[in-house]
Order: sequence, then structure tokens, then C-alpha cells
Amino acid sequence: MYIIKRLSQMLLVVLAVTFLAFAAMNLLGDPLTNLLGPIAEADPADLTDDQREDLIEARETYYLDDPFLVRYGRWLGDMVTGDFGRSFKNNVEVRTEIANRLPVTLFLMVYAQLLAIVIAIPWAVYTASRAYRLGDKASTIVSFGMLGIPVFALVVLLFWAFAVRWQIFPTRFDDSDLGSRVWSLFLPAVALATPLIATYQRLLRTDLISTLQEDFIAVARAKGMSNRHVLFRHALRPSLFSMLTVFGINTGALIGGSIVVEQYFGIPGIGRAVIEAIIRDDFPVVLAVVVIVSVMFVVINVLVDILYSYLDPRVKLDA
Amino acid sequence: MPETPSNPTATPAANIGGITTDLGSNALSPPEEGTTTEVSVARRLGLGFWLSVGWLVLVVALALLAPVLTLERGEARQNPDRSVFVLPHPEDTAVAGRLDGPSPGLWFGSDNTGRDVLSLTIWGSRISLLVGFVAIVIGFLVGGSLGIIAGYFRGWFDKVVSFVFTILLSFPALILAILITTLLGKTFLWISVSLGILAIAPVGRLARAQTLVFAEREFVAAARVLGAKDSRIILRELLPNVVIPMSALALLGMGIAIVAEGTLAFLGISTADGLSWGKQIFESGSNARTLETGPHAALFPIVVVFLTVLSLNFAGDRLREVFDAKELAF
Repeated sequence: MYIIKRLSQMLLVVLAVTFLAFAAMNLLGDPLTNLLGPIAEADPADLTDDQREDLIEARETYYLDDPFLVRYGRWLGDMVTGDFGRSFKNNVEVRTEIANRLPVTLFLMVYAQLLAIVIAIPWAVYTASRAYRLGDKASTIVSFGMLGIPVFALVVLLFWAFAVRWQIFPTRFDDSDLGSRVWSLFLPAVALATPLIATYQRLLRTDLISTLQEDFIAVARAKGMSNRHVLFRHALRPSLFSMLTVFGINTGALIGGSIVVEQYFGIPGIGRAVIEAIIRDDFPVVLAVVVIVSVMFVVINVLVDILYSYLDPRVKLDA
Repeated sequence: MPETPSNPTATPAANIGGITTDLGSNALSPPEEGTTTEVSVARRLGLGFWLSVGWLVLVVALALLAPVLTLERGEARQNPDRSVFVLPHPEDTAVAGRLDGPSPGLWFGSDNTGRDVLSLTIWGSRISLLVGFVAIVIGFLVGGSLGIIAGYFRGWFDKVVSFVFTILLSFPALILAILITTLLGKTFLWISVSLGILAIAPVGRLARAQTLVFAEREFVAAARVLGAKDSRIILRELLPNVVIPMSALALLGMGIAIVAEGTLAFLGISTADGLSWGKQIFESGSNARTLETGPHAALFPIVVVFLTVLSLNFAGDRLREVFDAKELAF
């Protein structure tokens, strides 16, 4: 029941998000100008044949001769069936463009998440086991700084320190094989992971501290289990819930961050595709990416909610 | 005692501060004073808070004074001897050599085209701070009033507003800002508006939640029994109680808006003309050769942005803890 309710909510939100993006294109200014730029307003006699064909095609692809709601319905139908239109600037199918670009971005995001988890969990366990002592207080300051530094400043710092000053990592993205891909994406992934590490560390630390007050921890300790065993085997698992809740929310920040990181490090992902499209005024690509990324974001959040309700059944009762 | 009126309000907050025990300021006050531990709000906010405020005051003051401190265009090149604190015009190139290091009179060094980095940073702060400020004002005006009205009247309006908030939060923030700025134009006004739109939903949600709590309280019921109109209850009873605790959120939100503007500028989709921290950091920090010969041109503005955002976050956090608005999560 809970899942059905959550999924129907998701459907409603997806409809609203796509509607908003499409309405923005249609209602903020002239849709044809938004799609094609200045040629939409030029005198038809001045245009080349190609440009005239673009005009006709844009009218057809976005159903501009239909009333607005019909237009939205038909466009949504196209999107659902995987027809995202065509770029009028470099004649590439948006679908192909996204299929080429998305894997790198996903790779980068998963990389950053893994890095964040691998660093944040031991760090949180360390600070929780020494709560309010010197190491923990120093950690609080460090994680506060990690949360505060903007990604665009962090990428420059990392690049300067580890690619220019000490030339440990390559300055360019290298996709020749998996090893060099992982190696050259290390700095970008660290930049993306930094705020995540701090968020996870703070949440997990708080949860761990309260878990460590529980009776079953006292029992485990009384049985003579080692500190490490108690922390990692007994306390960690019931403390992971909050981390999971922010996982979905963080995906949104991760998407924003990966646009910056891809643009700066020259990684040919979907974020860079958006910026390139904006710079050449290629709105069909922007629209498609906005819709796809937002829908992904909504779906991930709902999936995390549903997963969460399995792990902690009390959530279902609240809803 | 002259302070008696402030006593009842100070005591519960001091107790709450005692639970957090992070700065230990409560433990310092001697109990033999007779009254319950009464630490002034200024002390409870802590040294870090006042350091943050000091930095913010400095940054804002320099931003406001920039036109006074700055020479006319071209003036700096004519008399290169600058012993006092005057800045060359930020767009003046070749006021120094390319990527000269910091020195007296050229405190932050010069950038790739020989512009004064300090002057650029101060002038850049004007756009960054102003965009952040305008965005937060929009967020508070629109989000705050929608949230209060929705929370007070409930019903269908509440449902619609809550749904709109959910939709706005369903977009990844930067994606929404990009969508709006590409459609409306990359001008100062529209950047501020699009960042303001991003602030509406978080501010509005919180205002609504706070209103729901306060609308149940006795003083609201009392006002209603006395025959106060809805508009009076909202403006005189609810607004002060809902918005003032949210001032901490304004600081945090401004930090977020400044970062967002910096990000847009860094990506080249902010104001085409004019300077901004993000643009400056991109110009000096995106080229490996520039970074190698003159890292200071990028590092100085980075430090300034970092300290500013950190101060806003820290001051906001401290205010939130001291005024104990628990659900002020942004």
C-alpha cells in the first residue's frame, strides 16, 4: 500500500516537473526563439533553405501549431518513447548525445559516492568512539570546512595542488583504459565527494553516539568483545539509517557538483553537455537534459524512501 | 534589579545552551551569583561567532566602500607609485606585470592580464553579495508569505502550495537555475530571481511548519476570541514569531545563494558584464600554465569566498543553536 502510494505520488511529481520545464520553454518568451535563437525572428526571405527546414521541423517536433496542453501531451508522449528531438545546432540526435555522455557522469557519481562512504564510515566510527575529545573536536572543524567550501573553489585548489604543483594526477581526462580512467577521475571524484564525506560523517557520528548508549552495546561489551568488534559489528548497522535518507537528497547536489567538475576538468559527461548546449544556445538539448536529470532525481529519491521503509517499517505507519 | 525584564526570556535559552555543552560558556559562570546561570547572549554566541561577524562586516564594508577606494580607469597606470590604500580600477589591465606576486600596495598580486587581484576581488564581492542578498529577500518575501498563509488557513490553498514546494524541491537546484537563466537571460536581475525561486521552497516549508505550531498556541486563540481579523493575527501575532527565528536561516541561505551565483559565474552563465568571484576564480584558475606561474591570482579570491561562506554558515549555525530553532534544516 505504502509503495503504491509513494509511486503514484512520484508519477504526479514527474508529471509536474516535466510540465514545468516544458511550460517554461513555451511561456517564457517565444518558444520558437527559445528553440532556434535569432533565426526564428528573422525575415524568412533572408534564411537559407536549411534554416527554413529547421523552422518547420521545430514547429513539428514541439507541436507548436497545437494548443498548449495538447502540445505538452504530445511532447511528453515523445519523451516517454525515447524521442528527445534533435539539436538544431549540430544536428545530433539528443538521444545519441545523452547515451554517449551519461555513462561517464554516472561512473563519476558512483565513484564519488563510493569514495565518500569508504572515507566517511571509518572516520565517523573513530569520532563517535572518542566523542567530545580532542580528535572529535578537530574533526568537527574539518568537516565544517569541507561542507562550506564551494565545489568551484575546491576543484581549482585540488587541480593546483595535485596536478600542477605536485604533478601526481594527470591534468586531462584520460579514457584509454579503465585504469587511467579511474586514475584521471580521482581528483574530480574527490571534489564531488568532499561535501558528501562531511555530511555522512556528521550524521553517522550523531547516530553512532546514540546507538552506543543502547543496552545491547553494554551487553556486547560485557561479553568481553573487542572495541573494534562492538563498533563495526554491533553499533554500525543500526546507525546507518540517517545516512541513507540523505543519500537521495545528496544526489541533487551531486548533479550540480558534477556539472562544475565536468566543465572544469574537461570530462565529456552530461553536465558538460548542458553547458556546451547553453553556450551555443541549443535549447532542445538543455530541455531534454533538464527533464531527464530531474526525473532521475525524483525516481532516486522515491526509491530511497521505499528502501528505507523496508529497513525501518515504522516509516510506513507514519505516512 | 534593572535586568529583571530580560530574565525570563534568557533563562530557558541558557538551559538549552547548557545541554549542547560545546563551548562550555555556562560552566564558566559562577553559580554563587544567586540567580540561575545567566550568560549574556553575546557571550553564549561565542568567539567564533564574533570573528565570523567581524569578517562579514569587513567584506561588506569593503564592498560598499569600493567606489571610494578605487581610482578612475587608467589613473593607476599614470602614477604607479601607490603607497596608500587606494585600488586601481578593476578593469585596468597592466597596472602591474603579468601574474606579479603580492607586494606592498599590490597586496593580492596581479592576474594574467596585469589587473589588481585585490581590486577584482573587492569589486567581485559586490555582485556576489548583492545577488545573494536579493535572492534571499525574494525567497523570504514569497516563500515566507506563502508558507504563513498556507499554514494559517490550511485547506486547498495549503495543499496547492505544499505541492508547488515539493515540485520546486524535486528539481536539482543548479539544473533549475540553469533552466531559468537560459530562458530569461543572463542578467543580474534574472540570476537573482532564479536563485530567489530556489530559496522559496525551503523557506516556505519552514515558515509553514512554524505557523502550524504557533497557530495552535494560546495567544493566537486569545487574539481570535478578542475578534482580531485574520490579517491582524498573521501580521501581528504570527509574523514576528515565525520570521524572527528564521533569521538564522537567512544567513545560511545567503551562503548558499553566494555559492550558487559563484557556480553560475564559474560556468560562464552568470552576468555577462561585471565581475563576480566565480568568474574571477574561473579566469585565473582554469589554465594550468596560469596556475603554475601565478597561483595567487586564483588562491586569494578562493580564500575570500571560502571565509565568507564559512562565516555565514558558522554565524547562522550559532544563531540557530542559541535560539534553538531545531527544525531549521536548510
